Amino acid sequence: MDKLLRKVNFDKLIGSVVNRGGRFIAPSLDARQVVFKAVKKAEEISFDHILARNSYKEYLFPQTEVIADFTVHKDGIDLQGRDVEPSTTVIFGARPCEAESLSALRAVFTWDFIDEFYTQREDKTVVLTVACTKGDEACFCTTVGLSPESTSGSDVYLKETEGGDYIAKAITDRGRAFIEEHAAAFEDAKDTKTKKLFMPEKIAGIDLARIAERLSKKEHYDDPVWARLTRKCIGCGACTFVCPTCHCFDITDEGMAFGGERRKNWDSCQYDTFTLHASGHNPREFQYKRWRNRFMCKFNIYPDKFSSKGCVGCGRCIRVCPVRLDITEVMEEMSK
Amino acid sequence: MEEILRKKARELLESGAVKVVIGWGWNRNRTRTTPVFITSPEDADKLVWNPLCVNNLSVYLTRKFKDIQALGKPAIVAKGCDIKNIVVLITEGQVKREDVFIIGMTCDGVVYRQELWKGELRPEIMPTKCHNCDVRNPFVADFVVGEKSAFTPPEAPTGMVFDKIKEIDNKDASGKWAFWINEFSRCIKCYACRQVCSLCYCERCITEKNMPQWIETSAHPRGNLSWNLTRAMHLVGRCTFCGECERACPVNIPLNLINQKMIQVVKDAFDFRSGYDEKTHPPMIVFNPEDKENFIK
Repeated sequence: MDKLLRKVNFDKLIGSVVNRGGRFIAPSLDARQVVFKAVKKAEEISFDHILARNSYKEYLFPQTEVIADFTVHKDGIDLQGRDVEPSTTVIFGARPCEAESLSALRAVFTWDFIDEFYTQREDKTVVLTVACTKGDEACFCTTVGLSPESTSGSDVYLKETEGGDYIAKAITDRGRAFIEEHAAAFEDAKDTKTKKLFMPEKIAGIDLARIAERLSKKEHYDDPVWARLTRKCIGCGACTFVCPTCHCFDITDEGMAFGGERRKNWDSCQYDTFTLHASGHNPREFQYKRWRNRFMCKFNIYPDKFSSKGCVGCGRCIRVCPVRLDITEVMEEMSK
Repeated sequence: MEEILRKKARELLESGAVKVVIGWGWNRNRTRTTPVFITSPEDADKLVWNPLCVNNLSVYLTRKFKDIQALGKPAIVAKGCDIKNIVVLITEGQVKREDVFIIGMTCDGVVYRQELWKGELRPEIMPTKCHNCDVRNPFVADFVVGEKSAFTPPEAPTGMVFDKIKEIDNKDASGKWAFWINEFSRCIKCYACRQVCSLCYCERCITEKNMPQWIETSAHPRGNLSWNLTRAMHLVGRCTFCGECERACPVNIPLNLINQKMIQVVKDAFDFRSGYDEKTHPPMIVFNPEDKENFIK
């Protein structure tokens, strides 16, 4: 049965999560923009925005984390792996588009090796999705087969009521357990009217099947369309950092001569050194080739290899791009 | 102005004087401008000019963009502030003056960020650089579009950036440190600041030199501090305060404060402002017996 989560009960909910040793992550205003942050009080939460600038992936897959410690001595090197001991992570205010992204991340982090740093955190994560009542021209979830009504990836799906409270529907067992565990913060929902959802208009010229078909043929590699549409890309990688499904990382050793830490840091396929070989050869020599790779990853490699969505249509890459390179304009062109 | 710009671009491409015109065009919904590369005369009508033309396109003249250089001689549509960066590129031997055709746009100011635009250019949505602009009339250009601007900048610089610098200058050392450590703590090491900057043209940035790793790539406090300080130092005497790094920063680090402060320091120490004269080398790459040496105590 649906439950009612009143705004006045958020402090109770946060307290209940934090007292059990968990983290409560929610959209919050920081440096003049709304971002996902660990919050301690309801007053820190932003309830009225389109979506957070960053994705919440950083709470499952941190920007930087120590995975091992090493010491160097005359007989060799000792490498001691770190264990990940995650606490429960509650993500409040995910949007239905980005909730879908966790299955894409899981697919890649369990593909040929189980990355426990990710899986153990995700196993203890509860996603409380809030359906969108606002949007902007960068939103395109409906074009990639999702919508504000999609519940895939959410543990609890919430809709805002006219009065500013939330109707909560448990989608998964984890979601049901969460509501039971924090029952004091929830009430039985009576017939409550919810706000109208914002439905982005589907972009007419985009056909995902046609894109997949075109990308499956290698000839497209040399299609001049890539350079024409994407040579303006400056290779900053901001799109990959805010993207909820981008997951590339780099392993780096830091420390002094005789010891230090091995870290796993976010990386980006948009950097010119990403595919630079030791020989000096770079198979993706120009920026438009790196851009083509990211597009391939989203619309060919993910769907083909993992049957998952590489792009959820959240539009973050469009909003954050300093040269306003709009992925939907490329999707439109590749649908031809 | 737009019509004159398009006509000139068409002429340049038709005559073969240039092979590509780098300018601004509309996105699909005509709500934002985006860089365009016009290579055929019939596409010249895609060029636009309005207060949303914020991008400093001079970045595309640098060696980071070998594929664009391969197109042939460029013409670039540039505001006065963008021309300052082209001037620095010339003084640093990155671009030869004769190798680029500059179409200078007379400018009344642009928006700080495109999303602030509501159909009207009001002072509140303009960046500090526009309020103090002394280059509204393009000063190095092969062709100028627009009527001469009569704007004169205020005697004492005004605006948010200058106010904030005064505020930080009044803090003691630990206050300054705390301010910047907090701002840098948000850095995600995406390097958007570097990539959007036309003066960050190194093919191999120091952060990519990993034998040894001079700058830690991790987005932890030490790595963030070393990256941001190093980039600031590399721009001393060169940065023109175009503001692209702050605009591109996805986590809103106020990089304009650092860069403008550095500009003030260079002005005081060397009486030099970068980007105004393509025949004068910046102070960090020349030795001059008259240099003040009061930093050596």
